[in-house]
Amino acid sequence: MAPATETFLRDEKDLSSIWDAYERGDRRALARLLTWAENPQYRPMLYQRLRSRTQQPGSFVLAITGSPGAGKSTLIGKLLPGIRQRGHTVAVLACDPRSPVSGGALLGDRIRMPVMVEDQGVYIRSLAAPPGRQGIAENLDIRLALLERFGFDWIIVETIGVGQADVAIGDLVDCVTLLIPPESGDEIQWEKAGLLEVADLVVVSKGDLPGAGRTAAQLQQTLNLPGFPAKPILVVSAAKGTGLSDLVQQLETSPRRRQQEESQARRLLLLAQEILAQRFRERRELVAQLMEMARQQGWDDWQAASQLARGLMANHAADSP
Amino acid sequence: MNASSKRIVLAKVGLDGHDRGIKVVARALRDAGFEVIYPGLWLSPEAVVRVVAEEDADWLGISILSGAHLILVPKVLDLLRQQGLSHVRVVVGGTIPEEDVPALLACGVEKVFGPGSPLSDIVGYFRGSQPVPQT
Repeated sequence: MAPATETFLRDEKDLSSIWDAYERGDRRALARLLTWAENPQYRPMLYQRLRSRTQQPGSFVLAITGSPGAGKSTLIGKLLPGIRQRGHTVAVLACDPRSPVSGGALLGDRIRMPVMVEDQGVYIRSLAAPPGRQGIAENLDIRLALLERFGFDWIIVETIGVGQADVAIGDLVDCVTLLIPPESGDEIQWEKAGLLEVADLVVVSKGDLPGAGRTAAQLQQTLNLPGFPAKPILVVSAAKGTGLSDLVQQLETSPRRRQQEESQARRLLLLAQEILAQRFRERRELVAQLMEMARQQGWDDWQAASQLARGLMANHAADSP
Repeated sequence: MNASSKRIVLAKVGLDGHDRGIKVVARALRDAGFEVIYPGLWLSPEAVVRVVAEEDADWLGISILSGAHLILVPKVLDLLRQQGLSHVRVVVGGTIPEEDVPALLACGVEKVFGPGSPLSDIVGYFRGSQPVPQT
């Protein structure tokens, strides 16, 4: 990569020249576009530019999800060398929670992902995920598209520590790998609906700890009932380095879920929700008017919410070509 | 609001395991609404600059309590310049003797927070020097 002028990123406020640098493979331009993906001012233009297809085959997009402390970052850190050894390049989007109080965040996932400093085949980016967003950062779809177009063979998304119902990630990626630490539930826990259903692969983490085998056996019994689609269950120990190559191998042959029509439709629904939420935040006066009307007209909540949705959509339509 | 005006990498450089201070600063900045990226201990100057580049950070805060600041800090600043990242503003914290401060400022450090710096000063500095939001 030829170092451009020192002031490249400071002076460059213009999307076209950053985009050109990005298309030439400039990692700084990639970093800047990943930042701008959050900015409503640039997002329509980014979507437009990302529409033109490139020749290269798409990335394999993998989500690693699980409860806080399950070992997501550590596992990714341990997977990186294996992925690189197989000759693949890889980008990581590591989400950590954004404070609902201050809006700030402490992004510390990459501590657990040491990388050879000269290895340009790895790119790690930390993202803050707001509360109530099912464990992923906003505008994740556009960031994934940016990384894919840049040419990474693999893209790994690490969600924040999630609960049972944070399933939105399933529509954005090819494969969802769910991490479950030992001794974190019993047979009934694994019967419940939610995240376990969208997982394509279940990994019992911390396989060196007592109880890992038992947890894996319980999961095996409960998830792979006769007559239901089989779900691979693996035991991995990042500390001992066991099970890692089995996992990479399993992932390499994983079916690609993103191409499913249903996933594509739900991805658009996520985006549509984002558009409405953004209107809601930006057009406070419109919202205030509606609230006033709701009081005057004596609307119930359903009527008021329907009017709000209608008003926000009309407002959006008026601004969009 | 430009999201990029809120990202700060806080880093420990070199053989220095004292991370109490940087964690306290990280917490204060998190609570003040900044996105703080903390990549952990024992990073080389090259590794720190790589993190800054990948994270598109606006600020780099370096914490050094090992006494090696006059060697390591200029090295980080040189690398930032070489890689076209001189827009990143650099501050230094830790056990920095008064007499070393001018040398650090001369090599491009914007501010030095020595022992006893109140958190409110540090937060105030980042708030005060926040770039004007675009749009």
